[in-house]
Amino acid sequence: MISVVKRIMKIIKSDVKVYVGTLIFILLLIFALISFLAPSWHKAWYFLPRDQLPQLSSDPTYWLGTTTNGRSVFWSLARATLNSLIIGLVAATLAAHIGLILGILAGLRSGVIGAIIMMLADVFITIPPLPLHVVLVTIFKEYISLPLLGLIFVIPSSWAWPARQIRALVTSLREREFILTSLLSGNTTRRILLNEIFPYTFGWHLVNFLNTVLFAIGSEAGLAILGLSLMREDTLGMMIYWIIYFNPLYRGIWWWVIPPIVVLILIFVSLYLISTGLQDYFNLRFKR
Amino acid sequence: MKTIYYFFLRIITFILTILLSFTLIFIILQFVPASIVELLIASYRSKGQYYDPKAIIELRERLYELFGLGGNIVDQYFRFLNRFVLLEFGSSLIAFPTPVKEIIALRLPWTVGLLSITAIISWIMGNILGVLASERSSAISRTLRAIAVTLYPIPYYIFALVLIFIFSYLIPLFPLIGGITTVSPSLTIYDMVYLIKSSILPALSIIIVSGFGWWFLSSSSLAQVVQNEDFYKFAILRGLSSNLILKRYTLRNVILPQITALGLALGGIFSGALLVEVVFAYPGLGYLLYRAILGGDIPTTLGILSLSVIGVSAATLILDLIYPLLDPRVRHR
Repeated sequence: MISVVKRIMKIIKSDVKVYVGTLIFILLLIFALISFLAPSWHKAWYFLPRDQLPQLSSDPTYWLGTTTNGRSVFWSLARATLNSLIIGLVAATLAAHIGLILGILAGLRSGVIGAIIMMLADVFITIPPLPLHVVLVTIFKEYISLPLLGLIFVIPSSWAWPARQIRALVTSLREREFILTSLLSGNTTRRILLNEIFPYTFGWHLVNFLNTVLFAIGSEAGLAILGLSLMREDTLGMMIYWIIYFNPLYRGIWWWVIPPIVVLILIFVSLYLISTGLQDYFNLRFKR
Repeated sequence: MKTIYYFFLRIITFILTILLSFTLIFIILQFVPASIVELLIASYRSKGQYYDPKAIIELRERLYELFGLGGNIVDQYFRFLNRFVLLEFGSSLIAFPTPVKEIIALRLPWTVGLLSITAIISWIMGNILGVLASERSSAISRTLRAIAVTLYPIPYYIFALVLIFIFSYLIPLFPLIGGITTVSPSLTIYDMVYLIKSSILPALSIIIVSGFGWWFLSSSSLAQVVQNEDFYKFAILRGLSSNLILKRYTLRNVILPQITALGLALGGIFSGALLVEVVFAYPGLGYLLYRAILGGDIPTTLGILSLSVIGVSAATLILDLIYPLLDPRVRHR
């Protein structure tokens, strides 16, 4: 256990990008978790005085001011960060694993099965994702919830990039000598898969996972702009939706506009820094 | 012969892509509970519009048909395909008797114009800058790289909000919500200036992110791969001028894979651009989609969906068909 933590620490310290990204992301995570301390009324409209400037006080409710619908920007932002991360987590867990399994399958079975999987992946990559998401959300509007929204982002394309990625890796691995040695030593396919191939795919799996989190959070914000996200919940996308709806910049209410945009950009940049940093790290190791 | 075979294969893939995606939509729509149609009708009526009973029965039938509910499934499937490929979605609900086809045709030039101009500018600019920045590691290229890494993961529509904040609120150069109100403007100078002025911010939000982010990063990393190749090192040893090396060796080898990358990225760029239109109230397909969703106009929504699948696949097809004309390796194989 300790050795795993040590290895993770080593990876984090090996690259400036991963280091900075992880730092920002941990801060965001702490901020998201603070939302559990939110007072029970934090979802109620017109509970607080409207359009209050941010002010320093002992109560975090007013730290980022209040909105035109009488809500605390601080509490809704914290909850929104948490919910957006949950959507990303659900989508990424599903998509990255589907991609991993299909990618390994396509890499090992380069015959008809592999060709079919890759053709499907290519087809789904070409289809613009937004219109399909729109149709799915409009149809299942009555049943939509945070995890279901995450599930929708898995269709159509978010599994396809990871699948392509992993397949390329496995096809290249298959030609390596150590796999052949392992095979000739009488190891079963399952053992080779578990002991020789999985350790290599793990790094890329992680990178794919992070990229899908990014994609899902971005897609949620996009759907929210169209008014198709979860109206009754706070997500980063829903905060943007209300901003477009009330247009507070007209009245100079900048403190409602800046926070969700800043948090979104911080999430995107931090996760992307981690994912490219890891990519460089695993690329170097793979070439060795 | 090989080229013809390649063309043939590519066209088959194009048809397959469209068939597969529409089949996927058909399968998804099969899961629609029939009660959803009643819910939709109830929501139209609750919006205060008056429908006479005949119209409601007609509407119900149309919705059942659009969703492919009831009837023989094989028959339904072929009618569904026909409707999606030919964009026969009947009349729209937001502008009632006008057919969906006509509304979409009115908005299409706006989206195609914005998308093609921004895609071309950002692709060319990003690739050239990326290659130049990889040639030498100066302070400028390092700064550009850092900016690119920051911009790359941000979706266009989020960056659009940043631009609105900066250029409409902090420095009021552009109107806060400057939507172009007329869909088909007259060609007076005043209108043209107004049109260009309100298209600048939407265009910039796509160009900056995809040019400085996407194409910059990918082309500079491709250029670094080229610089590690033996033929590149040999070119330097031969004493060729750096200008010639840049044009003949690096740029050529970077541009070709980037054409394929443009084809693959087009779907994402398209989706992003639709949302940028909503943020700026730009009168293209994206804004129409937004209005159709708000008005519960399912025929128009499905129409835009099927057009975007066909459009993006066709654009990718064209790019792939041009590719062998540009790449001598594919041509002479």
